[in-house]
Amino acid sequence: MISFEGKTIALEPGQTVLAGLEAAGVGVETSCRAGVCQSCLMQVVDGAPSKRSQQGLSPGQIAGGLFMPCVCVPEGDLVVARAGDAHQRIEAEVHSLEPLSDSVLRVRLKPLADFAYRPGQFVRLITEDGLVRSYSIASTPDVAPLVELHVRLIPGGRMSGRLKGSTAPGDRVVVSGPSGGCTYDGVEADQPMILAGAGTGLAPLWGVLHDALARGHRGPITLYHGALNEGGLYLRGELEGLAERHANFRYRPCLMDRGEDLLAIVKADPALKGAGLYLCGDAPLVERMRKALFLAGARLADIRADAFAAAA
Amino acid sequence: MTTLYERLGGAPAMETAVDIFYRKVLTDDRISRFFEDVDMERQAAKQKAFLTMVTGGPANYTGQDMRRGHAHLVAQGLDDSHFDAVVELLAGTLAELGASPADIAEVGALANSVRDDVLNREPVKA
Repeated sequence: MISFEGKTIALEPGQTVLAGLEAAGVGVETSCRAGVCQSCLMQVVDGAPSKRSQQGLSPGQIAGGLFMPCVCVPEGDLVVARAGDAHQRIEAEVHSLEPLSDSVLRVRLKPLADFAYRPGQFVRLITEDGLVRSYSIASTPDVAPLVELHVRLIPGGRMSGRLKGSTAPGDRVVVSGPSGGCTYDGVEADQPMILAGAGTGLAPLWGVLHDALARGHRGPITLYHGALNEGGLYLRGELEGLAERHANFRYRPCLMDRGEDLLAIVKADPALKGAGLYLCGDAPLVERMRKALFLAGARLADIRADAFAAAA
Repeated sequence: MTTLYERLGGAPAMETAVDIFYRKVLTDDRISRFFEDVDMERQAAKQKAFLTMVTGGPANYTGQDMRRGHAHLVAQGLDDSHFDAVVELLAGTLAELGASPADIAEVGALANSVRDDVLNREPVKA
């Protein structure tokens, strides 16, 4: 039995979720119909999709309940939705707000219900009057159960202006998600890791870095943080401290006003071809880096990207 | 009697195949514009499905799926020359993976069997 948008559909024995939906008149975009191309991706809201229907999906996709209905013959009842329609939404209380630099605000939230996530994923922050913005989760294990976000203070930015100007500890917000696959999953303990972020692209990398170290990652980890100038290198002291304490971690700031190009520096990393690669920051830069590093030899399966799109 | 898909190594081999094939198409001026998808992950998944199909792996494309999927590219000018270029790069990819000339010819034939659907046109009756 599957349920979709309030409609209940009984599946015949051996019938796939896709076949059941189509027979009931639901339109689903499809292509290969063989559990590879991911055109038909949908989301499980309740119940467990078959293993085959999640084969080949990234850890982030699986964590988000995505599955391929074209090859899903479920063992039990399922409630399904179009991908992206159903997100966990929980209330949270603002715990603290503190500046990490002139342009970055550390916001810590206390979820008021169980909120499970993998460091490096992102959430949508929703204010009481319906303003929505996405932020990466930067939390490290030591601040649990608080959820930490690094908010870039954008001149004229509606959300960042409000968080800086009027939001106070105790205020309530809604957090939706988590989404995204920029996590320490699918990485071998001895594999090199290259973390490259620009601006607040450091946020998910900060979480992933701590997660990797906490899980005993042995391979070399290099974090490249790109900023316009020294003022943009937030958490620099903490990162230098981590590098001193962990022999396999190297921190390499990259300054635009000194003519340094983040992409060129990452491309020159000798470990590029076999490394787990993490690219985070503004969308145009991340997409440019993803393509260039792929062409330079990084494997698609090793590239995890979190591209920040500006709010309209 | 195994399929080329199985002999190459099945699904994990397709990961390697996509890396090789995708790099070729992105750097080929004849067709790169049709692959300039911002969503590289989505694009890679589609290519993996294509490679799976042409090497004899599991695939259940319908002619309609192929037509709909490529209609917007045909509107951008996709034609036989581009299709030929893709088949050429596909052959190069398979050669790098160790496929024999006989295998490659067979794959070419499979690819050609969807030409009319991809290019959104009626097959020419002799």
